[in-house]
Amino acid sequence: DEACVAVFFRRFLALQQHHLRALDAFLLYVLLTGALQFGYCLGVGRLCFPLWLPPVLTGGSLFLCSAVCLRIQINPQNKSEFQGISPERAFADFLFANTILHLVVINFVG
Amino acid sequence: MQVLSGCEVTISNETRELLLAAISEDSSVTQIFHAVGALSGFGLPLASQEALSALTARLSKEESVLATIQTLETASYLSQQADLSSIVEEIEDLVARLDDLGGVYLQFEEGIETTALFVAAAYKLSDHVGTEPAIKEDQVIQLMNAIFSKKNFETLSEAFSVARAAGSLSQNRFHLPIIVVPDGPAAVSHHQPVLRLQVTNVMSQILTQVSVKLDQAKSVSSKATVLQQLPFTLSGDFFELNFMNVKPASGYYDFSISVDGDKRFIANKVELKVKVSTEVGITNVDLSTVDKDQSIAPKTTRVAYPAKAKGSFTADSHQNFALSFQLIDVNSGAELTPHQTFVRLHNQKTGQEVVFVAEPDSKNVYKFELDTSERKTEFDSASGTYTLYLIIGDATLENPILWNVADVVITFPEEDAPSTVQSKNLFVPKPEIQHLFREPEKRPPTVVSNTFTALVLSPLLLLLVLWIKIGANISNFSFAPSTIVFHMGHAAMLGLMYVYWTQLNMFQTLKYLAILGGITFLAGNRMLAQKAVKRIAAEQSSRLAKYRTLR
Repeated sequence: DEACVAVFFRRFLALQQHHLRALDAFLLYVLLTGALQFGYCLGVGRLCFPLWLPPVLTGGSLFLCSAVCLRIQINPQNKSEFQGISPERAFADFLFANTILHLVVINFVG
Repeated sequence: MQVLSGCEVTISNETRELLLAAISEDSSVTQIFHAVGALSGFGLPLASQEALSALTARLSKEESVLATIQTLETASYLSQQADLSSIVEEIEDLVARLDDLGGVYLQFEEGIETTALFVAAAYKLSDHVGTEPAIKEDQVIQLMNAIFSKKNFETLSEAFSVARAAGSLSQNRFHLPIIVVPDGPAAVSHHQPVLRLQVTNVMSQILTQVSVKLDQAKSVSSKATVLQQLPFTLSGDFFELNFMNVKPASGYYDFSISVDGDKRFIANKVELKVKVSTEVGITNVDLSTVDKDQSIAPKTTRVAYPAKAKGSFTADSHQNFALSFQLIDVNSGAELTPHQTFVRLHNQKTGQEVVFVAEPDSKNVYKFELDTSERKTEFDSASGTYTLYLIIGDATLENPILWNVADVVITFPEEDAPSTVQSKNLFVPKPEIQHLFREPEKRPPTVVSNTFTALVLSPLLLLLVLWIKIGANISNFSFAPSTIVFHMGHAAMLGLMYVYWTQLNMFQTLKYLAILGGITFLAGNRMLAQKAVKRIAAEQSSRLAKYRTLR
């Protein structure tokens, strides 16, 4: 819906806080990397499947961890929904989830 | 001494005392056995009752089979006045200790030698005491199967024990096993109508003071009893019976024979398989060519064995070749169905031969028909003149037949003619198989992958640029120890990931991860707590400022 997208962008640009912006930049990076790898795999063919899987998984999970979890929790506007969890705690959770994710991915790759 | 009467051996008093002293509870059973045997052999007196009590006492301590057997032997040297019944009971105990192998063999686990020694000792003692040994007839048979199963012996003592057992089974007061041996193969025929048997004991000594009787003779195939209750007649060393007198049909017969004459005989009912052979004759041999369309009547030629049919017969796409014959017993005229009735066709030029089976119909007339269109695969479609042979054979036939009956010209349809008939040589080396190694997966050309690697790294640059633009503040970086530790720990964890990929396995990684993770967690906790404090302080101060401005 046009209106929805417009509202989304306006809200996005209105963001002032550095934290969120930096995070959004990171999210963009992850997204781009994942998309490029996906495109590469489609282009070359089926034989890169095992090589393709870790990047996709990593990308997707990172995206999920960062965008959804961390961002939501850090955003002060959402503070009402996350009473008990401080931004620091959210960050710690993010790091922990990341660690496990990398462990699993490296296990798969290696 | 008893055996070597001309040989004088003097025993000194010391030796005698030594031998007598050996008979005590302190010596082993073997020593008592040897001492008693020596004293008895030299004819020197010995105290049987003492020996008996020493033996009994020793036997309760030494439970081995060999010791018990030696006790039996020793007891047979002792005076009959002594009460040897407890030793005699040991025979029964020993029989219980024998191993039954498949219902055929009965032997001690110690081996044939021990079993043979047992048999000899048991019968010796039983003869001495006058009591029948507690060994049943089928047990004796199984013991014999075990003891006499070998023809070559490894040790002299084993051979000796087997010979002793044979001797004791041929001469004792209670059990005499009988062995019935046919003269040559157990087969009779018109040329040799008499079945000759020899009766011996275990030592192969011929027994003639016995009566041999045929209890019954049954045909194996028809299960009919052909003969009953007929005695064999003694002729020299053999017992004879003319079986052909009853004109039996050819085949196999089960004879049940019993030998009597002495109450001690055991294993004296014998089953024997006797073969009756005969001669076969081929009659009513008809060779014919049958027209497939059945428009022309078949031409039949009769041939008599062993002549060959004059002229040749043809089998081609219009005509089939047929052969029929009957097999009869020359002596009785009865129809026969031997096991092997083959028709062999031999190609004179190529050396090929094809063999078929002629089957009898319900009237026992054998028929064979050659249809060129049906049988062309067996012949490889090789046309030509084939010699026809008839092959008749069976175990009960004395005259197997190979008869060149006729020549058959077989013509196969032209289009199926083979190129050349090559004899299939199965033992030629086959083409070598090259092992195909698994080919490595195709990878995209290096250029493409390098380009792509650069492409993938480009978002990273974008990220850095964005971060700088946004102004991610590194200025807020406080150099508190916990912060440094946290960042170092975190970096170390990422480094560990790399090392895990290259070298470590999961367990080692988890171990290191636990350590590093713990440090990082503590440091991070500290750091974040400090940040939280600062943040809350900042918030409070800003709130305070707002509050103040409001006021």
